[in-house]
Amino acid sequence: MNQEPTDGESRPTVRTDRRRFLAATGATALGVGSAGCLDALPIGSSGQSADVVLDPPENYDTLSEGDLPFPIHGEKLPEATVPAPLADREVTTTEFVGDRHVMMTFVFTRCSSVCPLLTANLVQAQAESVSEGFADEMAFLDVTFDPEYDTPDVIEDYVETQGIDRDAGNWWFLRPESHERAKEVVTDTFGVAFQFVPEEEREMQNMAWIHSSLILLANANGYVERAFTGEPPNPARMVDEVNTLRERW
Amino acid sequence: MRRRDLLAGAAALGIFGVGAASTFGDGLPGTTSGSEEQSPGTVGATVDPVTLPAIDAPGSPPGERTVPERGRVTFVEMFATWCTTCQASMSELRAAHERADDVQFVSVNIEPVGETVEKADVTEWWVEYEGSWPVTYDAELELTRRLDATEVPFAAVLDAENTIQWTGRGYKEADTIVAEIEAAQ
Repeated sequence: MNQEPTDGESRPTVRTDRRRFLAATGATALGVGSAGCLDALPIGSSGQSADVVLDPPENYDTLSEGDLPFPIHGEKLPEATVPAPLADREVTTTEFVGDRHVMMTFVFTRCSSVCPLLTANLVQAQAESVSEGFADEMAFLDVTFDPEYDTPDVIEDYVETQGIDRDAGNWWFLRPESHERAKEVVTDTFGVAFQFVPEEEREMQNMAWIHSSLILLANANGYVERAFTGEPPNPARMVDEVNTLRERW
Repeated sequence: MRRRDLLAGAAALGIFGVGAASTFGDGLPGTTSGSEEQSPGTVGATVDPVTLPAIDAPGSPPGERTVPERGRVTFVEMFATWCTTCQASMSELRAAHERADDVQFVSVNIEPVGETVEKADVTEWWVEYEGSWPVTYDAELELTRRLDATEVPFAAVLDAENTIQWTGRGYKEADTIVAEIEAAQ
């Protein structure tokens, strides 16, 4: 069913497995360091790129040497084309260039811990875009890495429960066609690692995946302004970042 | 049983945090900043009161609430209707509310109420999970900002001078809540 292709490795405990997984995530960083566009990386220690308007993160120098698997500031938003079942079309992550700022995150809908918080950050930014009249300047892309469970019906329920505004015309829930395609898009292209947890090893029945968390904010020219990883940011700060981006744009 | 599952879930959330405990934004939690004042949301920080619209619900008359209230201790819990841990926490909050005296006890919804989430949805949730104290929503996310509430549920106890004395993430037992309220009094 949702089983990942097995590699024949035994999994002694969830905890060990997690540590190994996290170590592997670090290792992946070296493997897919060019997920963004290396030629777009800002050069030099100032860290400021002509392609972005938000200030670099304060630990930018260290981070930019770290060969992270995802873009952080000044790189091009990676490109992938993924079906958006509720919109009945495919969405390309770069199709909004010249048109809209893009906010993206990566979830599985059964998740009850960090994923709803990731989506909640996008929901608050979307609500701001609707109430302040800039809905058509934004595109919100919520990507599942659990397409077998996250069928269009499940996605529809999730959109309703999370308070996503379907009428605003700026939110697309993206569903890669298969587990393999999810790996290509979510991990290989965007640097977000995820791993299936067999049912008997789960702490909670619904927690079918462990994963790293990422929210990207890219400007309307297609360059990443911000990457939030680890604990999701306070949604008020997320709204502030979007407003700052718009003011400086 | 269910509670234990939820606690385990909270632990799992912690593990995710450790996995990539950096936030690549400026001045965000987890980054080091030579900030001149106490970081928002940390124990010892003083929170300016915010006026929040009340949800008309059991134990919660319509109108406005000022949170935190100066002059007495405040217990505030931030929540969302989609949050299963928030649902499971309601019986503990109810028990704490019944036991705690002379405290501003308030729940604050952090969803875009009035936009995609209707006030009536919050009222319905409140009735379903048997809330019986004032409930409001953070319309401008101002309290979220001042408490730096990065997740739900998120609770804080503030003393009579509105200084944060304690914060608690995830599921909390009534005993913990009552003890923290009493410690701040």
